[in-house]
Amino acid sequence: MNFIKKIIPMKDFTLKSLMTFEKTPLNILMFILTIGLLGAFGWGVIEYLIHSHHAYNVTREHPWGLLIAMYIFFVVSSTGLCIVGSLGDVFGFKDYMAMSKRAILGSIVTILAGFAVIAFEIGHPVRMLIYNVLSPGLTSAIWWMGTLYGIYLTFMIIEFIFLMRNDMKNARIFGLTGLLVGLAAHSNLGGVFGFLNARTISNGVFYPTYFILTAFITGIYLTYLMYGFRYKMNFPEEIKKGLIGLAKIQTLLLAILMFFETWKMMTGIYGGMPGRADVVEHILHSGGFVYGEVLCGMLIPFVVMLTTKWKSINLYVYASFIGMIGIFFMRYDLVHDTQVKPLQMMKLTEYQLPPKWIEYFPSAAEFAIGFGAIGIFFMLYYFGQKMFDLDGGDH
Amino acid sequence: MANYGMAFDYKLCINCHACEVACKEENGIDLGAKNHRLWIQEETKVSGDFWNLDRDKVEFMQMQCQECQDAPCMAACPNGAIYRDNNGIVRLHKDLCDLTRACMSACPYNARYVDEKNHVTDKCIFCADTRLARGETTTACQITCPAKLRYFGNLDDPESEISKVLSSRKHFTLKPEKKTKPKLFYLE
Amino acid sequence: MCYNTHMNIIETSRRKFLQGSVSLCIYATSALSSPWQTTKTSNKKTTDTPYLCNMCRNKCAGYARVENGLITKLNPNHNFPKSRNMLCPKGNAGIQAIYDEDRLKYPLIRIGNRGDGQYKRATWDEAYEYIKEKLVKIIDEQKDNRSTIAYCNGEGFNKDEYIKFFGSKLGSANFLDEGSICLNTKLGATQLTIGDVGEMDVAGSDYMIISGANRYESLITPDSVDMIHSKQKLVVLDPRCTVTAIKADEYLPLYPGTDLAFCLSMMYIAFKEELYDKKYVNEQFDDFEKLKAHILSQKYTPEWAESKTHIPSQKIEKITREFFAASNPLYYLGRRSVWSQNDFQLRRAMVLINALAGSVNRKGGIIFGQPIKLNDEEINEPLYNNAEGRFDLDGIVYGSQKGGSWLNFREKVVSKTAPYPVKAMFIRKHNLMQNMPNIAKTKKMLEMMDLVVVLDTMPSDTAMMADVILPECTYLEREDMVVSFNRLEPSLALRNQVIESLYESRSMQDILKGLGKKLSVPLFHVSAKYDEDLQDSIKEDGLHKAFVEGGYDMAELYGYNTTQRNKRLITKQFGKEVYNSLKEKGVWYPYMDEQKELFNDFYEYYPPEKRFYTIDKKYRVNAYLKKLEKAGFDAMPTWHKYYDFNLHEDEFRVITGRYVTTTQSATANNVMLKDFEKENYLWINNNNAKRLGIKTGDSVVVMSSVSSIVIKANPTNKIAPNVLWIPHGFGIDSQEMTNAYAKGASDNMIIEDKFEKIYGCATMHETNVTLRKL
Repeated sequence: MNFIKKIIPMKDFTLKSLMTFEKTPLNILMFILTIGLLGAFGWGVIEYLIHSHHAYNVTREHPWGLLIAMYIFFVVSSTGLCIVGSLGDVFGFKDYMAMSKRAILGSIVTILAGFAVIAFEIGHPVRMLIYNVLSPGLTSAIWWMGTLYGIYLTFMIIEFIFLMRNDMKNARIFGLTGLLVGLAAHSNLGGVFGFLNARTISNGVFYPTYFILTAFITGIYLTYLMYGFRYKMNFPEEIKKGLIGLAKIQTLLLAILMFFETWKMMTGIYGGMPGRADVVEHILHSGGFVYGEVLCGMLIPFVVMLTTKWKSINLYVYASFIGMIGIFFMRYDLVHDTQVKPLQMMKLTEYQLPPKWIEYFPSAAEFAIGFGAIGIFFMLYYFGQKMFDLDGGDH
Repeated sequence: MANYGMAFDYKLCINCHACEVACKEENGIDLGAKNHRLWIQEETKVSGDFWNLDRDKVEFMQMQCQECQDAPCMAACPNGAIYRDNNGIVRLHKDLCDLTRACMSACPYNARYVDEKNHVTDKCIFCADTRLARGETTTACQITCPAKLRYFGNLDDPESEISKVLSSRKHFTLKPEKKTKPKLFYLE
Repeated sequence: MCYNTHMNIIETSRRKFLQGSVSLCIYATSALSSPWQTTKTSNKKTTDTPYLCNMCRNKCAGYARVENGLITKLNPNHNFPKSRNMLCPKGNAGIQAIYDEDRLKYPLIRIGNRGDGQYKRATWDEAYEYIKEKLVKIIDEQKDNRSTIAYCNGEGFNKDEYIKFFGSKLGSANFLDEGSICLNTKLGATQLTIGDVGEMDVAGSDYMIISGANRYESLITPDSVDMIHSKQKLVVLDPRCTVTAIKADEYLPLYPGTDLAFCLSMMYIAFKEELYDKKYVNEQFDDFEKLKAHILSQKYTPEWAESKTHIPSQKIEKITREFFAASNPLYYLGRRSVWSQNDFQLRRAMVLINALAGSVNRKGGIIFGQPIKLNDEEINEPLYNNAEGRFDLDGIVYGSQKGGSWLNFREKVVSKTAPYPVKAMFIRKHNLMQNMPNIAKTKKMLEMMDLVVVLDTMPSDTAMMADVILPECTYLEREDMVVSFNRLEPSLALRNQVIESLYESRSMQDILKGLGKKLSVPLFHVSAKYDEDLQDSIKEDGLHKAFVEGGYDMAELYGYNTTQRNKRLITKQFGKEVYNSLKEKGVWYPYMDEQKELFNDFYEYYPPEKRFYTIDKKYRVNAYLKKLEKAGFDAMPTWHKYYDFNLHEDEFRVITGRYVTTTQSATANNVMLKDFEKENYLWINNNNAKRLGIKTGDSVVVMSSVSSIVIKANPTNKIAPNVLWIPHGFGIDSQEMTNAYAKGASDNMIIEDKFEKIYGCATMHETNVTLRKL
């Protein structure tokens, strides 16, 4: 333990202190929620081990499902928190210095949660690790994404160590490198979809750039939630200042995102290209997009932040919670909408109408693993803040 | 050493499913609606009222891996598990497949699926590890077809039956706009 | 499929049987969900065995690939003129018939009630012993009237041997086969009109009309294949838009049962416009003027035909003119179930149209050809003085003396109006409980028997009615006697044995041999008790000599096994080379060395000049059949008011047919083919369905005067209004057929048991029903 403490400063803690917490209603609720989610994750994994992919509702026509969406959800969160964390220690914005440690810890635990999901999504995760090195597929966006995220995680951990040691010079170096690698990884994740020549709706430049933008937005939402929980809505002044700044940035980013989306949809419909125009219309009529993405993910937080004269931080925390629901729908829809248009007519028997749209709804095991991983995030974050001093923002 | 391709005299198809059964039996394909290396697709329904039906646009199309010369599945695989063998057939190193299903998402023809028995992705490989490996020159689907509408052979050999039929008859490929350059041809 | 896995499942199945528990349906879904049904072939070369398929009536030739004793693949045999180097989906799925987990594996003796599936495993000897005791008692009670034992056999190679055993040796007159629920009217109409059943030369025809026969979904070799490749103009009449109709050059939708009106009108136009082949008519027709006068006087005009069929009169005129103008026109006679009361005259009208066009005994028409004649093995037939004749042709004008009339037979047995009681039935390869209309009546008939013995490969609905089940091996596990095929391009083909028979199953010959050894002497003694002639010859020659010389040894034919018999028969008649060819290639025909690839593995077999298009044969075209007139029926094709398709708005006419992946019984439990069609759907016209609020997949109740079924609906524009199509081969009631049990519904549950009186054939398309959404 002492050896580790020499490398990375930690609080004094015992096993007992790790396991005890103040019994406030919110804490108890979070405790029960976390245990429940972890239990669900465990059950889902057992289902998967017994039935392999049969436990999931993914099909030949819709090979990627909720778990891919949740993986993206977590890694987008991670990239976003990395961006927020970098504002202070990499770019030197004084107001955000205090947030770096918490944000970087957040970025590490979210990506770990994401890896936990993807480990049970792909069929042979161990093979992936081995052949990622032995037989790299250099033309594959997934290879670049996976490899860069691996490197990114390493840099994030090193940055976090230097942050804890208050070695801001090295933290900055590794923070900047980590950020660049993370952004590269993240835009490659967008590239996984952008490269899909087969799927006209996703093919192109949109997703790689959109991913970076929404990552930043997600990072800010999550920062709000982390601080709201940390300070029980009684924010100290120095944090308030940073959060207000983030709210202003968020409003701007949301405005940009709304323009992005508007143009994507308009250019998508224009020209009536099959596989794009029809899918865009389908998206515009789907509840997930209208209520999830637009209302929760963009409009509500945007209106709340814009109309409250940068004063109602508490309200912004709630708005951010709603925002995160929207972010989930953005990830889910991204995966689903990419595959929603049948590639072939797929009428194979007499008594089947050729499906106009591919149907997919996640199975219980997919829900359990996908949402259960949020429990992993909660647990790791809880231990993280028990073990490390994340509030020492003044250097 | 060959460059195998296939041409379909698709208008002759009567959708009898012989090719599908032959393929499953030859290659040990699992049963189940989602497991097939090849399938027949009924293009366009018979339309109109019973006494005045329009049947003209109904065609049965032979669907399977299109053996793209520029194969999106190959580029999408993170492990480089998909390769082109020396007969020009897009194949899979089974040990390298980690089932990200990137190839399935990348294929514009929905030709790939998860082989539950071996836990890898699978598709038509022209019976490469069964019939061709034994030195035979036909695929299971081609030889069993009552219409003999599947021409299978070496595209690089100008004397092969497929080369001759392609040079003498008009033909098209599926989704040419995807620029995948399929080696499967549909004869007009 | 791993062999061991298979054996385990077999053990479960066996236990299932041994337990004879009440409900066995818990296994019902397991087989379909099991993914281990296919075996990948290896990359090793093998020597494949030529065989003949038995999944349907066609008998296509194939090569079976065997690896480590397991059949892993069936491939087409390019040597066989008939099957044209192809195997259909059913032929390819034959492997699943051999390795079907539900197969009959051991002799079984019933311990429960008929139909409830409770059996105990028995040895072959126990089974034979059981049969012997019952049979001796029955024949004794019936005072040696051997015809008290009815026996039946569906379509297949061994039918004649089966008849030799039960007919010639055992002495029963009551043999029944599929003819009277299949195509006897067509065979009879051709035979009586042009003196021979003939063969249709599809490949040689440049203009072909098909009424109802669905050659692209009900494949017949070589007809279906030849239709695909020939450049002929194809005209299809059908109340359902089948794949054949979709592919036709001209599709004429019509009401069911009205094809005869179309044919009559074709003749009318041909006479009116003098389109017929005058030279041919002059040379070959008898009673031509009678026919002409009849058709013209009845005024079978195209307008009249339109009012009956719904085919536009101009269409009828156009098709008729085109038909008679073609160089080799063919009105294709079909070969499926008899449809309605007018079926005999419908088929006759088709023959007459061909004859009017001169399309008989020439290329592209009905040809006589020259089939290769095989010598018969002679046997010594005993004479039974007390054996009575068959009674099922009473009241039938012609009828098949060989296969009789099923519905008339059943009716007389069930109503006890037969001249003597039928006490026992031997049933082979014939699924009585599914194959004829009004299943309830068949059940009643079987329940009246003192002994029912079933020889089959599968625990069919009929097997579940048996007292003793004798497991026969499948077609890939045995060698059958050599068979001669076709008339235009005749050939011989041999079904070679591919693998040893599985479990305790035996070939039919071996089963009959065992049965013969067990039965011969005891039954001889029964005869000796009642038969005075036999008593005389025993007195004269002594017991032993009377037995041997009288031909009472029922196992006489099976002193040698099939392989030895084939070798002797073929070598003696054709020589060693022919025999070797049959063993090595499965096929022999005279021009094998000249077989030429036309394109893409499609071959020419007989050189065109060697084909038997036209042979030197004296025959007459009988336009007028006096015997019919005497019996009070039409001597010439005639329309009657009650043939009209005239239904109440709420009434529907049921017609049947098959999916391309199904046959009658052989495919019912085939896991590979079930993968395509798990259950059958009722086709109903989309406008009818709309009015009744029925959507795709809705369960509907269909009620006829005999029973009702529940089936899923398929509203479609591809079927005529007020017509329902029920694909055959589903709704299996035997719980031992785990892939088939209770999947879909059986057409014969609701089809009424009517039969026409010329050949005693069941009319399958005359049942009117009502239906409602469940």
